[in-house]
Amino acid sequence: MKLSFTLNGEPVAADVAPDELLVEVIRGLGLTGTKQGCGVGVCGVCSVLVGDRPVSSCLYLAACAEGEQVWTAEGLAQAEPALIRAFAEQEGMQCGICTPGQVVTAAALARENPAATDAELRQYQAGTLCRCTGYQTILAAVRAYLDSR
Amino acid sequence: MTAADLTFRSPATLAEALTELAGDEDAIAVGGGTSVALLLKHGLIEPRRLVWLGRVGGLGEIQAGPDGSLAIGATVTLRELAASAPVRRLAPALAEAAGQVGNPRVRAMATVGGALAHADPRQDLPPALLALAATARIAGPAGEREPPLAGFYTGFMETVLAPAELVTQVNVPAGPGRRSVYLRFTPASEGDFPVIGAAAAVLRDAGGLVTGAALALAGAGPVPLLIPAAGELAGRMPAEADIEAVAAAAAAAATAVSDQRGSARYKQAMAAEWTRRALRACLE
Repeated sequence: MKLSFTLNGEPVAADVAPDELLVEVIRGLGLTGTKQGCGVGVCGVCSVLVGDRPVSSCLYLAACAEGEQVWTAEGLAQAEPALIRAFAEQEGMQCGICTPGQVVTAAALARENPAATDAELRQYQAGTLCRCTGYQTILAAVRAYLDSR
Repeated sequence: MTAADLTFRSPATLAEALTELAGDEDAIAVGGGTSVALLLKHGLIEPRRLVWLGRVGGLGEIQAGPDGSLAIGATVTLRELAASAPVRRLAPALAEAAGQVGNPRVRAMATVGGALAHADPRQDLPPALLALAATARIAGPAGEREPPLAGFYTGFMETVLAPAELVTQVNVPAGPGRRSVYLRFTPASEGDFPVIGAAAAVLRDAGGLVTGAALALAGAGPVPLLIPAAGELAGRMPAEADIEAVAAAAAAAATAVSDQRGSARYKQAMAAEWTRRALRACLE
């Protein structure tokens, strides 16, 4: 079936299967920042924004994105340089696998609750797993980003 | 792996959605898709038609009646439910349950109707709705009906929904002075299902006398579990012994199975403990 949506500000047309997942479509377009991790909506490395909502693209049927504005970490890095700068300056990453998910989640938080307290920030970011145990610098990066806006 | 004849439909009206569902015996309704995508991936369902409700008009609103009742459309997301001012004011247990499901992504995708139809007994939302005496409006080929949620669940991941039927709305009755709470116990990661979730709703008169009480549990059996003994708090000024009686009834009713979240015995003990805590939170 035909699917048209906007990906990182650019119109995209794709031919997708009815049960194809958004993560497969995005990666098929060459944007590999969005990853398949747990595949069950738990780890957060497949996070993208659909409109202003964060979604697990591993559980999001691509067909539901018809007409939507979809943003991945690559697009947010271009559109919101302060977000990436905060992660770089606070060293909010170690191996880098979860970084796109952390970045997308931070962007979602900025849209949903721009005045988030530290406790709310921790709660929000908690669903995006980092196995390098680098959480403190990630949280510092998100804090710096929210404060910079 | 895609079945060759699988199709995706995106109806714009409820009537169209019902027609799409009735048009193929292997059609399945899709709300946010969190559960359907999971079941598809694991080959646990093999539908021939996916009927997505995301573009159906009129199912995405939360309305508070002048009497304090709530009408919640089936495609309202858990995120919208958790953030809704009238829900937080009139039925806080519901906002608390919705706000603790999974993670922000799941809450932004998952819908109220989907949460009911999925019918996993570990879900957070059903006990809150049960304790609040909610009803589910169902539309289908035979017309509309609105059973109480208490009779909605018929077995593990089974409901009264017949083929081609759809939950269109959830109604929470008014409860002047009602206090409600949802508490969950998750010793594993925060995004996990709870070992036990407990929802309580208590109505009291001006003198503090309980006029109605309900308690329901997640994770305590094959279906979300109402504990009828909580109703016996009505007519009393509950003392600790009364709460203890409900806790004992909860432990006795819990038929949880042993799994990675704990042994059956442990879950029974937790059913009692979180029953106490939920009731105390409403009575303090």
